Parts: sequence; structure tokens; C-alpha cells
Amino acid sequence: MLDSERLAIAAHMHVLLRRKTGRVTDTEWMAGNLEYAAEVVRFAREKAREDGHAELAEWADKLEQAVGAPRAAGSKGPSHGPEALAPRYVGGIR
Amino acid sequence: MAASWLSWHVLCVCMPMRITTNTTASWGVPAALVFFSGLAHSQAPTAPSLVAQESLSGADTAWMLTSTALVLLMTLPGLALFYAGMVRRKSVLNTMASVVAIAALVSLLWFAVGYSLAFTPNNPWIGNGSRMGFEGFDYLKQAGKVMVSHVAPNVPESVFAMFQLTFAVITAALVVGAIVERMRFSAMLFFIGLWTLVVYAPIAHWVWEPGGWLAQMGALDFAGGAVVHINAGAAGLACAWFVGPRRGYGRQAFEPYSLALTMAGAGLLWVGWFGFNAGSAIAADGRAGLAMLVTHVAAAAGAMSWMLAEWLMRGRPSLLGLCSGIVAGLVAITPAAGFVTPASALLIGALAGMACYWGATGLKRLLGADDSLDVFGVHGIGGIVGALLTGLLASKPISGVQGDVLVQAMGAGAVLAYSLVMTAGLLLFTQWLIGLRVDEQSESTGLDIAQHRERLGG
Repeated sequence: MLDSERLAIAAHMHVLLRRKTGRVTDTEWMAGNLEYAAEVVRFAREKAREDGHAELAEWADKLEQAVGAPRAAGSKGPSHGPEALAPRYVGGIR
Repeated sequence: MAASWLSWHVLCVCMPMRITTNTTASWGVPAALVFFSGLAHSQAPTAPSLVAQESLSGADTAWMLTSTALVLLMTLPGLALFYAGMVRRKSVLNTMASVVAIAALVSLLWFAVGYSLAFTPNNPWIGNGSRMGFEGFDYLKQAGKVMVSHVAPNVPESVFAMFQLTFAVITAALVVGAIVERMRFSAMLFFIGLWTLVVYAPIAHWVWEPGGWLAQMGALDFAGGAVVHINAGAAGLACAWFVGPRRGYGRQAFEPYSLALTMAGAGLLWVGWFGFNAGSAIAADGRAGLAMLVTHVAAAAGAMSWMLAEWLMRGRPSLLGLCSGIVAGLVAITPAAGFVTPASALLIGALAGMACYWGATGLKRLLGADDSLDVFGVHGIGGIVGALLTGLLASKPISGVQGDVLVQAMGAGAVLAYSLVMTAGLLLFTQWLIGLRVDEQSESTGLDIAQHRERLGG
């Protein structure tokens, strides 16, 4: 994924969170920092569950895929082994 | 030299190319003391010499010409595709340019200096200068004479030197995989040029020239497990540590540009490796045939083994894993190709697949260096695994000698240590002289634009 595409997804998430939850985020940091992005993803999913904003969950998935953020504990998703949760292409391509 | 024919079997064994079962044309190589024992001392050349054209083997020469082309294809475009597919889009062209430029640079340096340092007799550490400055390789039509190397007297020296060149080229090109996306093109060329002469040529001399100290010690390395793979792996690791990680490494996902290119490259590597290993028999004979077979078996076993490991650990097999497993198996069989049975090759490939998977994942995290394309994880670890297993599995009926794991470990350790230390020294020198890394902005923009003012279309 291009850096610009990743930034675009982060920017969209920033706008959504601002509108739906009032939460202000750092777009550039979100696109470049794995831990921050993972926390934003967690927050967005939590708000999606609590307040029923389906769009937040959808864009949380996109952001997670874009930055390779690991799924938070307890979140739904396939589990295939110890290294299955390691984000793809972070810290190594293999 | 001539006085120690007793140790020839050991010497011969060390030389990858020297292994041949042709009693008349091959006496340079250890090829099995069995054949060697019948020859008189005086018939054994210890230096390049002019011989009658008729004494050469046409079949062997034809096969060596073919092998040379196959091994060069492994670099151009095999390795170029393999590597370029794995880097991010913004540095694909730079990665390819690096491989191409290295091929050209090393080619010139090889005939200017490198071949002479590696493959002429002098002392256990380095060769003489008789082949420097593009000298030698005489072909005298009227006299009907051709220069041959004492290492491979059944083929013209020009062919032997070209074959060896392709090994020097690919070894240097492998190192680049550790520092993609962040090293200055000029610094990379300068460093690789020095590295070829200061690191590669001496190690090749130690292992493959009859008087080399590792050859004398009896280390088995049929086609370059140590000279090429352990050497490149160690150098790659040193580069990764010294040059430092890419910006965002460990935090951002560095998505490969096109694993389709990587697969195309892996295919060329697999097929080209027949030249790499079977060609190292320096003869079109039974040993070459067996080397080709075991190479293929090990590649397939490595692919399946890595795939299985990844499937268990991550839940899905990947194309990159398959390609990487192929290479792991090929690397590990390289030192063993002329010495082991097909069943042993299966074991070597399978173990290498798993070991290199760990090398590119768990070990990589332990080492903490951004070895971008896992040069140490695959080539370094695969080479070490192959070297040790060669000591364990070398078959006396096939090779004529018994393997020794301790000797193999010592040889691998010596190459690893020398490569690590000297590579670090050369990097220090290069950094002092011209600097190593591009600036932050260039790294962020991508080296295609920053270093070459070129970009992929579309």
C-alpha cells in the first residue's frame, strides 16, 4: 500500500472520530505509528459497539489492514498460531 | 605442494570445482583420491599453464560455458527480480540498478585484480599477480595451445575464470539485500568494489585454490556454501548493523512491491543453480548429474519445509515463504552437492527450510538488525546448516572422503568471522570517506527518485 493511501485512510478515520465521538486524533502519527494506530482501532471499535456507528467499525478494519496494526485482545478474528497475530510486513517481510 | 600428494585428497575435496571423476583430465581436483592415486607427481600442474588444445575436453568445456551462463542468469535477472519484488515500490528501480551495477563493476575488477588474487598459487592466504590486469587466458591458434588453470585443466582457463566470475558477481549482489532502501548508490559501489577484492577473493583462495589454508585443512565446500553464502550472509549482517535500520522499521508495514517478480526471480535462481552446483563438477559427468539431482531435491524439500513451518506458525502458506524455502534448500545443498546422496539432500533441504524460516523470523528479532531481505537469515544460516550437514552426510563412495563436522564448523566459523570483521572495517572506511546513508528526505521519497531520478510507470 502506498504511504499516501495509508495517510488517506488515517485522515478519514480522523474525520469520522471527530464527528461521531468528538475525539481528536493525530492523522500523521496514526499512519506511521503502529501502537497509536492500534489504540485508535480499538477505540473506534469500542465506540462502534457502544453507539452503533457501523461506519467506525468498517474504517477501523481498513485502518488496521493499512498499518498492519495487531488485533486487540478479545477482538474477533481468526487465530492460527503464535505468529498469526504478528502484523504483516512489520519488522520483517517473511 | 608437489610433495604433499598424500594430502591431495583433502585438498581436492576442498575445491568445489575440483571434484571430478575424470582421471585423465582432472587431476587437479581431489575428485576422489581413488582416481588420484594412480597419477605420478610430475603430471600434476600447480600453476596455470599452456597445454595442447586437444588435451581439453569438449564436453566439459561446453557444459562449463553453459553453467557460466546459467549462473549469470541467477544474478541477471534472477536476483534482481527476487530482490526488487520484495522492496517497497519507491526503491524497486534502485534495487535493480544496484544488482546490475554490481555485476558490471565486479566483472571488471575480477579480471583486473580479483581472479588473480583468488585462483593463482602463492601462499595459503592469497594468490599472486600473474593474472592481474586482464592478463592470461591465452588462446594461440597457430600453436594449437590454450592456457588452463591448474584447478581445472580440462577446460580453457578463460572458461574457468568466467565461471568463477559469476560466483563473485552473485556473492556481491547478495550482500546488497541487507541494506536496500537506504544506502547511497555511490557508497554501495565503492564498498562492494573493495569488498570483492578484500573479502571475497581471499576467502575463495582459502577454500578453492589447492594451496589455500582451508583447502589444506580439509573443509568440504563443493560449490560455495561458505565462499558465497556464509560470506554474503555475514557481510549482510555487518552491513545491516552498521548502516542502521530503515526509518519506520519495526513500526510500519513495509509492503513488498510485487511478490510476482520475486517468484519469477526465484524460478531463475532454482534453474540457474543447476549451473552453480552441477557446474562446480567442472565436468559433464556422473558427478555433475548427481549434483544436479540433489540440488533439485533440496530445493523442493526446502520449499515444502518452509511452507509447513509457516503454515503451522501463521495459519497460511505464502508465496514468499515458498520462494524463500526454495532458496534455503538451494543454499544448504551448495556445499554438499558433490558429496551426498539424494536421500541426504532431502534431509538437508528440509532442515534448511525450517532453520532459515527461524533465521528470517525469530533469529532476526533476536539479532535486532534490519537485515532487510534476510541475507543472513537465509544465506548465512542456510550456509552454516549446509556446511555442518555436509560434514555429517558426505558419502565416501561418492566423494572419496569422509566428512568431518568439526572441520566444517571451523571452516564456516573462519569465513564468518573474517567476513564480519573485514566488512565492518570496509564500511567504516567508506563511511569516513564518502558516507553511507542517504538523507532522511531521500529515504522518505524513495531511492528511485533520490538516487536515479527514475520511477516506475503507472
